[in-house]
Amino acid sequence: MFYIHDIACISPQKTFSEIDIEHLNCPVGGKLPAIEPAYEGIPLNILRRMGKAVRMGVGAALTIAKQNAQGIIIGTANGGMEDCIRFLNQVIDYNEGVLTPTNFVQSTANAIASQIGLLTSNRGYNCTHVHRGLAFENAVLDTAMLLSENPSHRYLLGGIDEISAYNYNIEFLDGWFKKEKVAGKSLYQANTKGTIAGEGSVMLLAGKHANGASAQLMAIRMLHADDEQYIAGELKGFMAEHVSDAGDIDLFLSGENGDARLQKYYDACEAVLYKNVPVAHFKHASGEYATVTAFALWLACQAFQKQSLPQHFLKYRRAKKDFRKILIYNNYHGMQHSFMLIAKV
Amino acid sequence: MEREALKAQLKKQIVEFLNLMQVKPEEIKDDEPLFGEGLGLDSIDSIELIVLLNREYGIDIKDPKEGRKVLVDVNTMVDYIEAHRTK
Repeated sequence: MFYIHDIACISPQKTFSEIDIEHLNCPVGGKLPAIEPAYEGIPLNILRRMGKAVRMGVGAALTIAKQNAQGIIIGTANGGMEDCIRFLNQVIDYNEGVLTPTNFVQSTANAIASQIGLLTSNRGYNCTHVHRGLAFENAVLDTAMLLSENPSHRYLLGGIDEISAYNYNIEFLDGWFKKEKVAGKSLYQANTKGTIAGEGSVMLLAGKHANGASAQLMAIRMLHADDEQYIAGELKGFMAEHVSDAGDIDLFLSGENGDARLQKYYDACEAVLYKNVPVAHFKHASGEYATVTAFALWLACQAFQKQSLPQHFLKYRRAKKDFRKILIYNNYHGMQHSFMLIAKV
Repeated sequence: MEREALKAQLKKQIVEFLNLMQVKPEEIKDDEPLFGEGLGLDSIDSIELIVLLNREYGIDIKDPKEGRKVLVDVNTMVDYIEAHRTK
């Protein structure tokens, strides 16, 4: 599909500039807020208007976008939801009277890609995908198709979402977030419904040539389904198509999130792999959000680079192998599923 | 409200409305230009300030020429508020 030449991540952990994923930041009030850097590359007059999703997106992108990219492709389920709600509340509070433009401008999902374009003078392809739990995956697919047409190009690809009070409250009432306090790996042992909320931004530079790349995204598949045996069958097909042997996977990055209702999907997919394949989970570090697979992709790149992962990520301490191929499986709300296969270059 | 208290209140509102992260209300001088040199505000800020005047003081500025005369500095804004406020 394509090669990953550079990658940056803003998340609830220390993943930006000085990376330290050994020590975990734990959730507060069921939320894992992202640690924001100082955003030195963003002019203050522009920064003060940005909502968190836009700040995180632009902040991560600016470290990558210095390198020439022919276009910007972003996946975000909700964009600047907090600004959107602020704007809509104004409509009610001020009886559809005079409204401020800033919240509206910042709230649209494509504000992230457009701000990156403006700040980097990038007049190329600029597109935002908003397919909820598959928003990032659709951005990946778009990037892969663009690179097939233009093999000499490079594209800035990203996945971003923020925690908004509105979304959190609605999804909490709908049972998607836990009522009880959980921290660290206790997330996976609660055996209750719901998970913890997270947010973050991952940006990467994608190209068709291996020269200078750190990883290769080999394949991706997206599914809409609610039957775990169907998902497992699709994973078998995906593996048969892209991996010579099921034991050829060095790490299975599982998107399990401690929601007892969704565990059956992860268990079914784990069962497809050989028993000696190491399994890692990551949502105790990232929290759950619609574009969290971008964080998983960043984590896979870290595993390739360091050839290890901190113990708290490992679900099973199986015999350590070199990390050369990593399989990511994630599902969002039990309906939107994706597999991604990544290889070390 | 006394003029000095109104100025202090307006400066606080400007900082809040425009999210001027690195500016303290008391640092804004009464005769410091709002646009260009001085606070360095831009055209989007001018719309935000017109909304501020509408929401906080019940003032409706519809003529852009009038807006240009009002949104010069804190002194001109306070002059206009004192003369036209409806709340």
